[in-house]
Amino acid sequence: MSETHANEGTEVKKPTKAEKVANAIAERFPNAQVEVKTNKWMRERVWVRVQKEDYRELMKFIKALDGEAHYSIGIEQDWGEELGFLNHLVIYYDDAPAVSLLIDVHAPKDDPTLPDISDIFPIALQFEREGMEMIGIDFEGAPDKRRLFLPEDFPEGIYPLRIDDKGVPEEMVHNAGHPYYLKGGAKK
Amino acid sequence: MRLSPLIPTVLRNLAKKPATNLFPKMEPVPVPENFRGRLIYDVDKCVGCRMCVTVCPAGVFVYLPEVRKVTLWTGRCVFCSQCVDVCPTNALKMSDEFLLASYDKYDEKFIWFKEEEIEELKKKLEEQKKAKEAAKKAENK
Ligand code: SF4
Ligand code: SF4
Repeated sequence: MSETHANEGTEVKKPTKAEKVANAIAERFPNAQVEVKTNKWMRERVWVRVQKEDYRELMKFIKALDGEAHYSIGIEQDWGEELGFLNHLVIYYDDAPAVSLLIDVHAPKDDPTLPDISDIFPIALQFEREGMEMIGIDFEGAPDKRRLFLPEDFPEGIYPLRIDDKGVPEEMVHNAGHPYYLKGGAKK
Repeated sequence: MRLSPLIPTVLRNLAKKPATNLFPKMEPVPVPENFRGRLIYDVDKCVGCRMCVTVCPAGVFVYLPEVRKVTLWTGRCVFCSQCVDVCPTNALKMSDEFLLASYDKYDEKFIWFKEEEIEELKKKLEEQKKAKEAAKKAENK
């Protein structure tokens, strides 16, 4: 980049914190797909798509990188053939901007198991419990597999956030109804 | 024993007038400009574009294809005003009315464009159609 483009004061040192983290992860986990994406407000995020086998090791690696690493959220996703679990972490946050780190791990639907990481990041357990009931991922070795949000009398084997036939069936969907339809509006 | 630091404030306030609105003995607190109250629908202005059906988060609208209008049940309305913003003909607007308590959730005041009005419009459209056809036949002769 030429000097004329550099804006004094807002100049970004290369490599940035995010790029350093991305490089460290890519070096240690050659099988992972690591990418630094920049959004329209120039905010960098490190996206990591990791293999199931490396997932626990990667979480331990992050904890070792920054002992203060903050686990923000775990998001269960239905990708059609696969189920996904996306972890959002924030590390190196003592000076802004922190490094925003997204760890994505997938499991095939016919073997929907993922390792539990709640011994590394204890708060992950509540997101894993949600993932188990909402989408049917089995977190192997999770110390608590009780439901978190669904009521006790909710049927087994139905996962509300699935987009396939294990999702909520039509008969379970209720609507208080619009008076026009209740009075037989469209049917008359 | 330590005295509460609130005591001087309490004593001072005891000498003041209450700062309450004695509704219903008084008028309620006036609403600000652009207040979002009960939704008003003008059937005649509606062109049946279905934008309000698409944008409403609460399922207030039902589209009526035969008459190309909508019927509303504002019992569900969350007063977000998105339908008002999107309506291209200004057939929808928000009023100042906010005293909307009712014993019946299907109260008249919550329903715009009722069954009878729909039937009436249907008949009117039918008649117009017949009149048009008759006019055309007369022209062709
Ligand atoms: S104000 Fe909002 S909730 Fe009410 S009818 Fe319009 S779009 Fe629906
Ligand atoms: S957006 Fe306005 S014109 Fe269009 S259907 Fe709704 S009320 Fe009618």
